[in-house]
Amino acid sequence: MYCSLPLVAYAMAGASSRVHFHDIPDVVLTTIFSLVSKTRTRNAMSLVCLKWLALERSTRKSLTLRGNIRDLFLLPTCFRAVTDLDLSFVSPWGYPFFDSFSNPHLLAQFLRHAFPSVVSLVVYVRNNSISTLHHLAPQWPNLRHVKLVRWHRRLPTAPIGSDLVSLFEHCRTLSSLDVSHFYCWPEDLSLGIQAYPSIAASLSHLNILKHSSTEGFKSRELLAITSSCPNLRKLLATCEFDPRFVGYVGDQTLLAIASNCPHLSLLHLVDTTSESGIRPDLNHEGYTSEDACICHATLGDVFARLPLLEELVLDVCHNVWGTWPALELLNSKCPRLKSLKLGHFHGICRGIVSRPDGIVLCRGLQSLSIKNSADLTDHSLISISRGCHILSKFEILGCKGITATGMRIFTHNLRKTLVDVKISYCKSLDAVSSLQALEPIRDRIERLHIDCVWEENSLKKKYKSSSSTTWTNIQHLSLWIAAGESLAPLSFAGIDDCPALEEIRIKVEGNCRDKARPSTNAFGLRCLTVIPRLSRMMLDCSGVTGYAHTAPAGKTDLSLWERFFLSGIQELKIDELDYWTAQDVDMNRRSLFLPAAALLAQCGSLRKLFIHGTANEHLMMFLVGNPFLRDAQLRLNYYPAPDDDTSTKMRVDSCFRFEEALGSSSRHVPD
Amino acid sequence: MGIVEEAHNLKVLGSGDRLIVLAHGFGTDQSVWKHLVPHLVDDFRVVLYDNMGAGTTNPDYFDFSRYATLEGYAFDLLAILEELRVDSCIFVGHSVSAMVGAIASISRPDLFSKIIMISGSPRYLNDVDYYGGFEQEDLDQLFDAMGANYKAWCSGFAPLAVGGDMESVAVQEFSRTLFNMRPDIALSVAQTIFQSDMRQILSLVSVPCHILQSVKDLAVPLVVSEYLHQNLGCESIVEVMTSDGHLPQLSSPDIVIPVLLKHIRYDISTA
Repeated sequence: MYCSLPLVAYAMAGASSRVHFHDIPDVVLTTIFSLVSKTRTRNAMSLVCLKWLALERSTRKSLTLRGNIRDLFLLPTCFRAVTDLDLSFVSPWGYPFFDSFSNPHLLAQFLRHAFPSVVSLVVYVRNNSISTLHHLAPQWPNLRHVKLVRWHRRLPTAPIGSDLVSLFEHCRTLSSLDVSHFYCWPEDLSLGIQAYPSIAASLSHLNILKHSSTEGFKSRELLAITSSCPNLRKLLATCEFDPRFVGYVGDQTLLAIASNCPHLSLLHLVDTTSESGIRPDLNHEGYTSEDACICHATLGDVFARLPLLEELVLDVCHNVWGTWPALELLNSKCPRLKSLKLGHFHGICRGIVSRPDGIVLCRGLQSLSIKNSADLTDHSLISISRGCHILSKFEILGCKGITATGMRIFTHNLRKTLVDVKISYCKSLDAVSSLQALEPIRDRIERLHIDCVWEENSLKKKYKSSSSTTWTNIQHLSLWIAAGESLAPLSFAGIDDCPALEEIRIKVEGNCRDKARPSTNAFGLRCLTVIPRLSRMMLDCSGVTGYAHTAPAGKTDLSLWERFFLSGIQELKIDELDYWTAQDVDMNRRSLFLPAAALLAQCGSLRKLFIHGTANEHLMMFLVGNPFLRDAQLRLNYYPAPDDDTSTKMRVDSCFRFEEALGSSSRHVPD
Repeated sequence: MGIVEEAHNLKVLGSGDRLIVLAHGFGTDQSVWKHLVPHLVDDFRVVLYDNMGAGTTNPDYFDFSRYATLEGYAFDLLAILEELRVDSCIFVGHSVSAMVGAIASISRPDLFSKIIMISGSPRYLNDVDYYGGFEQEDLDQLFDAMGANYKAWCSGFAPLAVGGDMESVAVQEFSRTLFNMRPDIALSVAQTIFQSDMRQILSLVSVPCHILQSVKDLAVPLVVSEYLHQNLGCESIVEVMTSDGHLPQLSSPDIVIPVLLKHIRYDISTA
């Protein structure tokens, strides 16, 4: 929540011309301060006077520790009110926390002394040699929420469950565990949960999604976990819905999960192939070759057992047929349901105007995401917009049957509530037609995703209609674009004026190995200079594959593509950038080349830069010249993150030298 | 950690009676051997190190005068062998490091039981009656680009030239990794490489040499292997692999690794 202090002061002043901010009782001031969440604002507030400094420190609840691990003895001790502590971003990223200290126990105690009130902890657990959790967990026995992070390979020799056992042994009041970015084997988790039944019984929030690997939980593992944790309110898990695999999850498993955990308010089950990143062919019929073993009748029974459900995600990635009866039951049995995401559910609504059915009856939905519903038609979509009449967030992905006409009527019907829309890989909805379909909410929409698929004809038509299009309220824009395509048409595709846009995310995907050199010099970041308030960018080229060093004769290297993607970035006034490098799949290498370092070094307004890939020391040193840069880090948060031995990872010493140079007092960072 | 160990990111892996030293070519680092190492660690002790100037080393340690000729790198190699108290090793050198190994073996032939040269060449620039693969005009474009990068880097502008900009495909092939080095080091290394002419010293090499190269390597024409074979002072053997490109141990490991292992395990028959 962002609270405008001048406004409060003004309001106070309005009452009587001699009321000063310091006349406000301390209790009220404390409440005002605790509502401020932006770190930069807080830092500024703490500089006003000693009283404000004390107030700010006493109301700062969450802190992410940055800085180099060698400087940990310089830990600030003024943030004693912090309850949510994130230790996973300490430099070098992903380094075993206590490896460089001869007395890890002393350091752990020092952490405890600096942050005595921590109840929520995020920490990177690299390996078990000097177990991080073994030293840290005893320091905060009252921990309630823990998120573990590991993108490096789990050592095969590590004893099963050892990390979690260290945690559970010391933190008996744990109620929330997130291992979605923690690479471990399912047995590690199962063992931990079974060894500590009292903790399992009091767990209310369990996130076992697998972002950091391609595996999922088997049916019996899910059943064992859910039967040990009957009080779960939130469960997120990756599992295998393909019935050809041993341990697949079918409707019987779902029924059992619902029986085991009747208090669930959030159930989020995703197939292992959901994030594979492989875009289906747009011309594909939309049906998968295998069906899931889920029938609508059993689904209805599942919903009946979860009366407290508020948020449901079933991204099955395999066909689920004729689901409208189950969705009607969903509406009647789960009255609190607000958010729904379904993947490969067919027949969610038959589109008969006079008899609304299926998902149309879920009138309480505020957020709906429909993925790969092959038989969804414009009629169904329009019916949905009439039924789910308070939708504020809508996503439609991979639905071949939807056209711009249907989409436009949909947004028109929901123009009072819809503020967040995502349209992706729908055959009949290219960039221009998507933007046209959203015209009824052009002045309301706050978050938008479209794919930058340019059709010659629709671009020409749009260019001819000269009216400028202002998207008054859009704050976050997300784009997908194929590698080799240019962003330039964006400026006349129908989204040229975005006065409130601060954040943009661009995802580039494609195989560059066989592509000819890009025909234009630049991808077109320059065209974003027209966005006046753009301050944060996420440029995700992790889906771009190519040759790092081994391009055959006549083929193009990734360094050239990197130059293509980043050209123009020096003209943008962004202060924060996340950049995911392209990858050479054969070598599992995602690294920065010379053009990227050179271009990023020219981006003079950058304050924070996070590169998701590796880079050599001398390339990172280019960045020391950026006048405002105060936080730069290499984060290898992709799986498997390369281990030390034979990769071009920035060595620990290199990281230290770079950060020392960045933080040195001879650099005068203006603000 | 000794200074030599730390500066060169020295690693010793595996176990066995015999010791193999893997030396990468310029513009890369020891990670080029990633596909080969697992095949060696069970039977050999494997030594990996990074050349000075490689992206993974501290650029402050790059002494421009020391490394103006290949002898500087040969001194480094000998320092590493001394630090590890090696009495005999099998040296596998890729690209320019193949010559570095040859130079080192001239002063200390006792330390090397054999040298395996992968994509090595004594001289890259064409000469009268010698085909090295590169013409002066091709190299002019390369040095222009590197010079431009160097100037830009010094003045705080963006050095943007990359190997792929070169017209000559041979130059592209050879230089693409060089452009990733720091611009001043890259320029110096490029000058060193293309000014070097090791043809005269070949006759002084007394250690057996196994010469391996790709059938299609634009930076190392086939005649170069033949030239090496004819002119090396010691016994030598040539094998042309069906691989493509200048970094065959990375681009075609299936072809290269069996050949490499064969040449490591077996010696040249003197019959």
